[in-house]
Amino acid sequence: MDNVIEKIIEIVAETCGVEKNEVNGDSSVGDFPAWDSMGHLSILNNVEEAFNISFDPEEMMELEDINDIVKAVSQKL
Amino acid sequence: MTIVERIYQNSLNFPNKIAIVCNDTVLSYKTLWQNIVSCCRDFEFMFPKGINYCLFKNSQNDSFAIKYFANHLFKTINVPVDNDISDDNYSEIADSLDSLIPPSTEHKSIFADNNILFPDDNATADIMFTTGTTGKPKGVVLTHNNICASTDNINAFVGNTADDVELIALPLSHSFGLGRLRCVLSKGGTAVILNSFANVKKIFETIENQHCTGFAFVPAAWNYIQKISGDNISKFANQLKYVEIGSSYMSEESKRKLMSLLPNTRICMHYGLTEASRSTFLSFADDIQHLNSIGKPSQNTEIKIFDHGEIGVKGQHVFHKYLNNEPAVFRDGFFLTGDCGTIDSDGYLYLTGRKKEIINVGGKKVSPIEVENILNMFPAIVESCCVGVQNDVYGEIVKAYIVVNQELDNAALRKYLKSKLETYKIPSSFQIVDSLPKTKSGKLQRLELK
Repeated sequence: MDNVIEKIIEIVAETCGVEKNEVNGDSSVGDFPAWDSMGHLSILNNVEEAFNISFDPEEMMELEDINDIVKAVSQKL
Repeated sequence: MTIVERIYQNSLNFPNKIAIVCNDTVLSYKTLWQNIVSCCRDFEFMFPKGINYCLFKNSQNDSFAIKYFANHLFKTINVPVDNDISDDNYSEIADSLDSLIPPSTEHKSIFADNNILFPDDNATADIMFTTGTTGKPKGVVLTHNNICASTDNINAFVGNTADDVELIALPLSHSFGLGRLRCVLSKGGTAVILNSFANVKKIFETIENQHCTGFAFVPAAWNYIQKISGDNISKFANQLKYVEIGSSYMSEESKRKLMSLLPNTRICMHYGLTEASRSTFLSFADDIQHLNSIGKPSQNTEIKIFDHGEIGVKGQHVFHKYLNNEPAVFRDGFFLTGDCGTIDSDGYLYLTGRKKEIINVGGKKVSPIEVENILNMFPAIVESCCVGVQNDVYGEIVKAYIVVNQELDNAALRKYLKSKLETYKIPSSFQIVDSLPKTKSGKLQRLELK
């Protein structure tokens, strides 16, 4: 679980061009200028690739913040 | 009658009707008008000789709307820009405004003998900066007359009324989003402002909770919503009365898909530019045989095809000049758009290409030259060439071809670009090449790389 959150924070920080310490479990869509719709899709794509999983649209709509993503990923591992 | 005067009339006719909803703020027409006047009073106190222009970043909320209309009432030219505008572009715009707009010298009051002094129809209302082909921002000077004409053209086609509640998630610093705000408030409807399309769950919750009957988006936002939520928008099939789409290409397949999900909604798509907002309109249901076209001219608008197929537009909504004296091409009273098209025997306009090399990323325009100039200043890069490549969500995204003279530090390049450019302008992919295609005179041939 710790590894999952750490990896997702790393993906979000890298995609949004911010430092890892600026990102936490409550960070959500729109919190950083680059976490717009384009950034959100990149984050979800990168998460899917990193964990070799895929989200369907119903699931994706529920993913608003890092905690949501961590929970969804953990359920698929 | 200017839009701010129409808001005043609405505040008299139905003071308690809701004008704007944003997060926890709810403004009736009466409160909106009071806020506009109060904002003007502050301006009078702070700037007794008036202000020539107001350059401000988009906060995408009710305060933005109040300030925008207060500026109109105070006879100050609005210059709204994106919140994430690069520092270089912001300074450039500020410099050009300072050098080109004379300072205000006379005492400004919004009241005289208990009458409200509304702005003159022919006065400049807004200057909207768009991406120029050279990469320098171009200021499109719009009068109150221009924006009222386009507001009336749009409302006539879309058919929204005072009973409608519209979700506005489009940026208010752009022609499309700001136009929607004017359309709704001009009619006496309710505008529900959201900060972006990024959170699709929030969009759906807002449509549901605020009982929205209208929605406007660019094709990229629709692609994104569909990717994130599948066909879920269909649950609003009996709620959404109208949808307005615009700003970039949408495939016929995508149009038919949206029609199937919202069969009872009037889905309208426009073609326009900041210089000539919403010059044509297409109704998906009424014009089903011509879904590949960009529709027919809006009311009071003439469209004519000029040399090499270039589309010309004429009408009261069309601007007259650029601020920075960049030559605008007019012929016989028609503004030449730089887009090419044909008109069929039924009067429908079809886009066939662009004379300009502007890249359209989900409705946001990117000049390849601006991005190349930034790339070329990065140490390892000798020269570069940017083109738009197809993308299933955004229509186009930026791809850069680069010539390097040492190993490229990708992380450093990304960091550098993030500090210099707005996110949507940053190339999504890079390809290192030995040389770039050029004409004999050394001009880049971007189209060869597409």
